[in-house]
Amino acid sequence: MRNVMALILSGGGGERLGVLSAERAVSALPFGGKYRVIDFSLSNCCHSGIGHVGVLAQHAPASLNDHIGAGRPWDLDRRQGGVVILQPFQTRSHAGWYRGTADAITQNWDYLEERRPDRVLVLSGDHVYRMDYRALFLAHEQRGASVTLAVTRVPADQTRRFGMVTMDRGGRVRTLEEKPERSAASHASMGIYVFEFDVLREMLRSRPVDLVLDVLRPLVDAGERVYAHEFNGFWEDVGTVASYYRANLELVQPEPRLQLHDSRWPILTRDEERPAVLLSGDASVEDSLVANGCVIEGRVERSILFAGVRVGPGAAVRDAVVMADVVIDGGARVNRAILDKYARVGEGAVVGDGDEPGPPDLQWLAGLVLVGKDAWVPPGGRVMRPASIGVGGRYEDFIDGVLPSGSVVGNRRWYEELR
Amino acid sequence: MTTRYAYILAGGLGSRLCLLSERRAKPAVPFGGKYRIIDFTLSNCVNSGIFDIGVLTQYRPTSLNEHIGIGRPWDLDRSHGGVQLLQPAPGTAPSDWYQGTADAIYQNLMHLKRRRGDEVLILSGDHIYKMDYNVLYAFHRANHASVTVAVTEVPEKDVSQFGIMETEPNGRITAFKEKPRGPVSSRLASMGVYLFDRDTLIRLLVEDAGIAGSTHDFGKDILPRLVARGAGVFAYRFPDYWQDVGTLDSYYEANLAFLGERPPLDLHDPAWIIHTQSADRPPVRFIHGAAVRHSMVTNGCVIAGEVSHSVLFPGVVVAPGAVVRDSIVMHDTIIGPGAVVDRAIVDKEAVVGAEARVGFGDEMPPNRACPEHLSSGLVVVGKRARLPEGIHIGRNARIGAQVVEADFTAPVPAGGVVDGPESMH
Repeated sequence: MRNVMALILSGGGGERLGVLSAERAVSALPFGGKYRVIDFSLSNCCHSGIGHVGVLAQHAPASLNDHIGAGRPWDLDRRQGGVVILQPFQTRSHAGWYRGTADAITQNWDYLEERRPDRVLVLSGDHVYRMDYRALFLAHEQRGASVTLAVTRVPADQTRRFGMVTMDRGGRVRTLEEKPERSAASHASMGIYVFEFDVLREMLRSRPVDLVLDVLRPLVDAGERVYAHEFNGFWEDVGTVASYYRANLELVQPEPRLQLHDSRWPILTRDEERPAVLLSGDASVEDSLVANGCVIEGRVERSILFAGVRVGPGAAVRDAVVMADVVIDGGARVNRAILDKYARVGEGAVVGDGDEPGPPDLQWLAGLVLVGKDAWVPPGGRVMRPASIGVGGRYEDFIDGVLPSGSVVGNRRWYEELR
Repeated sequence: MTTRYAYILAGGLGSRLCLLSERRAKPAVPFGGKYRIIDFTLSNCVNSGIFDIGVLTQYRPTSLNEHIGIGRPWDLDRSHGGVQLLQPAPGTAPSDWYQGTADAIYQNLMHLKRRRGDEVLILSGDHIYKMDYNVLYAFHRANHASVTVAVTEVPEKDVSQFGIMETEPNGRITAFKEKPRGPVSSRLASMGVYLFDRDTLIRLLVEDAGIAGSTHDFGKDILPRLVARGAGVFAYRFPDYWQDVGTLDSYYEANLAFLGERPPLDLHDPAWIIHTQSADRPPVRFIHGAAVRHSMVTNGCVIAGEVSHSVLFPGVVVAPGAVVRDSIVMHDTIIGPGAVVDRAIVDKEAVVGAEARVGFGDEMPPNRACPEHLSSGLVVVGKRARLPEGIHIGRNARIGAQVVEADFTAPVPAGGVVDGPESMH
């Protein structure tokens, strides 16, 4: 599709992901044992024949820059088109952070104006799904739409997380409510929009801030040709701890709704070279995904292990998401937890002990323990659920070797202590 | 720093590897769960800072060409230097098939002459080892050597398989015997790693090309001649692991050695990564009921059955109830439900039917077709072979590439052979 440019909105800092997004954009969050969340959108673009992609990044863009680079894993290192990371910038007359999704696009309009695609596909970098965008474009064309949004059915109790959409029989959008407590609508907007270039340009003239409230809704209200296209596959916005955890664990269900082992639609990523997974004579791994470079001497159940994780002898990891190069020493137990990169669980320590629900203001932890990047749980230490240990957390954060349920420990970085 | 460059000899037949190198060059034979044998040498080069490499191929180069491509995994896709595959080509004099290792370089003399730098590093693509070639250069320069040969100590029983060197205490080589039959006083074997003074090498190659009766081989002709003349030929003693995986048995043992408590090479060392071409594959999926012990399993595998003491390459599927024991299973092979694979090497993309038994019984007569290479009890199954449901295959059997279910009329006895379709050439 030569005349299409995709814009991936990856600005989100993911406040609801706590320590996991302290130093990275949600889109750059590791997912599924070897991927980053944005790999799903980028791979969808690649397989759908979209060769020109702009990534709008604001929060911790280094994590995305590093990952995407020149775009080679997605064959986006091209002379024509390719991938470009669009960060907020200054000009002589103007300087400003992106105030919202529509503003982010407006601030980069010069870039789009020069390339003049016929259509603009707006995506979110925070979603995990496999989708052929060609079906969306086909529906858009057949209906002669100005805008087409992808929608999917969501449970009635989830409406407050989404923009809810009602359509007529022909698929034309009648109402669009943003995050209603309750709604008659059964379909949520997936944050995937096809815009006719001219329609989008016209709407951006008034310097809107938000794409849904200031662009889409006025278009619907004005009776423009806004259509919905239903998507039936697995789709998850991983912007919360609960949804991030749930989407990861979906991969180790007996019949996962999100299939990674399908060579017709591989999820492409920037891969490091690591040796094969090595399992010792006492290893035991079931219902799990384990990436290259791991060394397993203990027990792993219903878990996702990223590259280079070490599980020592006698250690047990259950219902956990364990990111790259985490070390779980011998005899340690990890239960219902998310461990960020390079964290270390000392010998015999327990992460995710107890079964307390935790205080109401920690609902966002979904009953889990989060362990920040580079954090260290001391040997024999116990971390009660739910709790969150900051980036670089260490022994001093524990009271007599215990971190009580409901604890939220802030980030520690040596360079912050210098300030 | 002068630009360093290396030639990797990758043309060998590897006939002792039987089926594994029947349709691919030995350096392209898969090894260690995800690598090809040549990856070790290529990675040694780039990890040593050598980014200008010629790979000399001759025998069935397709799989090597495909594997190396433009050299991206090794950061060899460069504007200056990089990797070049050097196939024999007619049309320019001298031109013909490469007659021997020295001839291979001689036929690329123009390629060599275009390169500057005082030394030429010549390597073999057949060996498993991690070596910092900078140490070799330093040794070579300190000795003002014409040639430095890297050597390693081999067991007495194996000396007849190698080029054996006798040395003075300072490392100077006094005698060079290629695959000696009789008793020798040294167990120092050439690793096929030579560092030549560039001008000396060019002179030697030109001279050798004119000698009637020469086999144009470094080990048989060039080095013995040079040693006999009393030139400065030195042996650099390499202290670490080095393995020639030239036979099926040594190939099998070398692979399985990586499963032990103390693997011969640290593949996890971030400072010395073994790079390879790897397809984008998802992490290994362990299904409920999987039991994997003492094994290496690579991304893309899906395991529902039992795996022990085995090496599984990317994309292998082990169905529920299947057992893989003491085996090497290459890319994308499927082990059907209830099948048992015991002491076997199964090449890529094969299908083992449900309830099949591969490697079965106590009888071990050597293989009928290659008795000298297949006699220790291993079963070898060729690429894309399809084994029917419930088939029994005895030990030391050889199942050819691309055989199909209909090629099996009865159980395959120990030492048996089932041949697939003839290769097109």
